[in-house]
Amino acid sequence: MLTTGEHAVAQGTQSSSELETRLEAGAVMSSKPGTLPLGALAFTPGFRYANQRLSASARGAAWLGGKNWQLGDGGATLEAFTPLLYGVRAELAANAIRSFHDPTVQNDQLDAQGRLHLMRQRGGVWLGSGVARPLRVAAVSNVNVSSGGIWTKFGPATIRGSVTSFFFTKIAVDSADNTAENSTPVCPTHPAAAAEPTTAAFVGAAAPIGCRHQSRLTDLEGTVHWQHRLMEVTVRGGQRFGDRLDVTADSRQWASATAAVWITSQLAAVAGGGREPAQPTRGLPARSFGTLGVMLAYWPIPRGTVPVETPAALVHAFEMRAAGAELQRITARIGGVETVEIMGDFTDWTPIPLIRRGRDLWELLVPMAAGMHQINLRIDGGQWIAPPGVPAIKDGFNGEVGVLVIRQ
Amino acid sequence: MSALRRTIGPLTLLLASAASAAAQDSVLPARELDPLARLNVATRYSVEVMLDSAKMLGLPTRVLESTALEGIAKRADGRRIVTQVRLVFRSLRDARAALGLSASTDELTAAAGALRVGITNAELSYLARTRHEKQLTVPLVVLADLVTRGVPRDTASQTIFQLWQRGAADDDFLGLWRGVERDIVSGTAPGVALLNRAREIPTRGSPPAAPPAAPGARPERSENPNL
Repeated sequence: MLTTGEHAVAQGTQSSSELETRLEAGAVMSSKPGTLPLGALAFTPGFRYANQRLSASARGAAWLGGKNWQLGDGGATLEAFTPLLYGVRAELAANAIRSFHDPTVQNDQLDAQGRLHLMRQRGGVWLGSGVARPLRVAAVSNVNVSSGGIWTKFGPATIRGSVTSFFFTKIAVDSADNTAENSTPVCPTHPAAAAEPTTAAFVGAAAPIGCRHQSRLTDLEGTVHWQHRLMEVTVRGGQRFGDRLDVTADSRQWASATAAVWITSQLAAVAGGGREPAQPTRGLPARSFGTLGVMLAYWPIPRGTVPVETPAALVHAFEMRAAGAELQRITARIGGVETVEIMGDFTDWTPIPLIRRGRDLWELLVPMAAGMHQINLRIDGGQWIAPPGVPAIKDGFNGEVGVLVIRQ
Repeated sequence: MSALRRTIGPLTLLLASAASAAAQDSVLPARELDPLARLNVATRYSVEVMLDSAKMLGLPTRVLESTALEGIAKRADGRRIVTQVRLVFRSLRDARAALGLSASTDELTAAAGALRVGITNAELSYLARTRHEKQLTVPLVVLADLVTRGVPRDTASQTIFQLWQRGAADDDFLGLWRGVERDIVSGTAPGVALLNRAREIPTRGSPPAAPPAAPGARPERSENPNL
């Protein structure tokens, strides 16, 4: 499928550079109606680089079924983002995807899409539109995709919901093995008999039961991702709406779950299973699947440790004033951002969000005894910086820290 | 009666909102009973060994603990955290040796920061000998910041020492720092900015004494490779 809500969530939580490499190895089983289950040993390497403006990822799979290795599912994605301004961010994304179910069912697709995100600290919405070009399938037009979604966070859980609508033209065939449910003729028996020539038309006299058919279908999908300590669980479910020709009975609902348990910081056991819907735009049937394996992950650039952008210029003012005995009022003027946090020795280096008091005014009262203190400031989850207007020194962790001397 | 209810309702809501907003003014979490529990076992062991050593030497352990917590917050790996805590421990110990037993925790912390940017033990000792009950914290914080911003180390230390000798107060040092920061942002070379701004500060004490001997020697370091 072209669209999920994961990009929005990723952008909501991700703000520094990271480079992640993964290798999954394990057994994969899948089945589709009318065929025997297909079992294979799969090795799936992948990498992902992301910073605030750009994200690039690629993933491929080598399957060993029987004696032969087969290039399986794979894809590459490039995404570019505008800076977050007043909680709004635009995104452009391009994908190249290859899907492989078995030697007779495989497909390639290129797609591009644009999205507009409205983000808050614990949730957001997005709207998007794009176009996809499947290759080697019965769709004879590009696929127009419109999507919208919402995401929010509840503690360690992230909940997403999305609606995605697909519109495309395909070659429909009235075949002899139509089921009773799907027995309605797709194509008119003669051009003159076509009730709606704009939606069904002959493609040739020599093909009496093949015609162009304009398809629309809409997917409603929900996902819950829960992460706590060493465990990550993702549960996904969906419902498809459309006419009987476009939505077969085995693709009206789907559900799946995957779980990863981190054994060490770089090794996880992974298991999952469920049902995936058909992808009619790409000629891929519905299937059930199960996976069991291990995943090796390595972060050559650890998350959040590489400075990518210093937003100090965004800070128009930063002040601290005594607000009582051992109490300081921190005031910052920073426009066009969603979150401002501080941390320091006086918070045991726990990030504390400032409270928005106006369009660009942020405040916080903090207990701070007289003496020397260290302080860092963070804007929209970015790099920790020394607040402007405060002496600073290197912190020993690839950054700087502000030094305050509070007088008695 | 209903009018009274109509008035009281919104007022109650308003007061509740104000109380809620006031409560949100300060949202610091309670201090964890064992903040170092966030470290992995090996890192924690190394840090606790240094905390014990600091206790025995009478050094402020809170500074070391804070450094470890800072490393955790900034997602540094355990090795990096141990290295940095060890560096701070050594610099605190050297600062104590240079400033003497009478130095406050803040002075020690500031002096340790100055040592880490290249100020020598000899220079710190010189400052300590001429302190006359004055607090060294602000001059040392400003000195460390200036070197961090690119002012040549010798220029920064000699200028700060001369101002110190001339009786400059904390506000003078902070004013100097603000001026230098503005000039650097405007494009002035850091060393030139400092010398220009230092001339603006009036003499408040005795005339400048001879600056400390050129500090060629590095501060003495521990012979124990584990510390």
